[in-house]
Amino acid sequence: MGVLLLVHGFLVAGGHLGGTMKYLNVAKAAGEMTNLSYIFGAIAVVVGLWHLLGSHKEGNADYYLSTVAGGVFILFIAMIVKWYLDPWVAVLGRALGPIAGTAARPTYLHTVLGLNYIVIGIVAGMIIVNVFRIPDWAHNGVRLSRLGLKTGVILLGSLYSLGELAKLGQLSVVMIGVFVLGSAWLVLLIGARRKISNSMGGVLAAGVGVCGVSAAVAAAPVVKARSDEIAYTIGTILVFGVICMFLFPVVGHGLGMSYVQFGAWAGTGILNSAQVAGAALAYQPTGNLETLKVGEIFNITRVLFLPIIVMWLAIWYVRRESAAGVSVQQVDTTRIIIEKFPVFVLGFIFMFALASTGAFSKGMIPAFRDWLTWLFAFGLTGLGMQITYAAMRQAGGQPLVIGSVVGVLKAVLSLIVVLMFVRETI
Amino acid sequence: MTDKKSQDIDLRTTETGFKYHRGSALSIFKSDRYEDFIALACALLIAFGVFVLVR
Repeated sequence: MGVLLLVHGFLVAGGHLGGTMKYLNVAKAAGEMTNLSYIFGAIAVVVGLWHLLGSHKEGNADYYLSTVAGGVFILFIAMIVKWYLDPWVAVLGRALGPIAGTAARPTYLHTVLGLNYIVIGIVAGMIIVNVFRIPDWAHNGVRLSRLGLKTGVILLGSLYSLGELAKLGQLSVVMIGVFVLGSAWLVLLIGARRKISNSMGGVLAAGVGVCGVSAAVAAAPVVKARSDEIAYTIGTILVFGVICMFLFPVVGHGLGMSYVQFGAWAGTGILNSAQVAGAALAYQPTGNLETLKVGEIFNITRVLFLPIIVMWLAIWYVRRESAAGVSVQQVDTTRIIIEKFPVFVLGFIFMFALASTGAFSKGMIPAFRDWLTWLFAFGLTGLGMQITYAAMRQAGGQPLVIGSVVGVLKAVLSLIVVLMFVRETI
Repeated sequence: MTDKKSQDIDLRTTETGFKYHRGSALSIFKSDRYEDFIALACALLIAFGVFVLVR
């Protein structure tokens, strides 16, 4: 993999791919293509040689270095997608001619379908894991993708102004407050009517209400959820999330939503955190990344609700079980809030505070944006590699029915609210 | 349809022996909190790099 990257860097630097790059309109990215190929190619070769020739002892260093190969594998796929597949799809889309818009601002098929490096990267990841295979040496690296997404979210803090954050923060607290608490409550209500277990209802409410798989996993211990109940919830969230991630941008383009409107809708209506970023970047993959900025503020607000929801579910579960005559141990709610608080949100706020001091000049913003697009491209391509057929096949039964009903209701109602009331621009 | 080992990339086995797929919540770190701190360190490193190298 490292040698391939080095060869690629050499070919681009020597102008041997000039014809292809001109056809794909990526000539201006030649510097980035050369530098990244050389840097990560060199890293991969050095670590590869160490794996091959070095002496190894089982331990932290060995474990963490084993992720480099997989990380480079994901990056390699993301590079192919960003530099070659995405531009090629755009060339094909333009060749088909505009399907809507005006002569001055034509709209092409690939734009409407949101076929850009983010969506293609996720699809490529899904195809690799479900149709081909992830090489054994890359398995550990695939687990790095969430770290890439979290780093991206923290770094995103550097792009907001105080005014933007205040305006979006107020809007998101109201919308997320209503929809997170509302959907969690609705899941519990329907769950009780359909006589699913309290633990199943609790874990599904967290997953559907807050931030998807992570919330379901976080809430599982406090409602004493069984592993099969967690599996049902994860399957439901994944199936629903994948559909939303591809469908939302199409609907957004169809309705002509503004970046703020779409970001607010994606941040509220899509269940899984990573898929919010995916949909937001699918809607606006380049430029000032307003959609991602709005979507992530909503997502962060939602994540901040996680300790509250977990505490609520803990109390709710104890009451329900006690009412049914089952002896349940009281839950330490303070400990739960401290344990479940997402620290990376503090990182985001810290980065925002750092940017607010004027530490970063305007000239640095494009560099931050470049880093962001690569971190999210890396994280989301890796996310695609975790969306396995086996995981989605777990969905079924009552959780799928309840999760789908509440998920669709949340998506539709939040769309109506956004279209009616959200007029902000940033 | 596909390679079994790839499909099992997110497989978890509980103490009781039950197996389930953890979906997109995979991490190389022992806890979410640890991952959060590493992400913060990475973000600060990138920000420092941009601060030093871009003018």
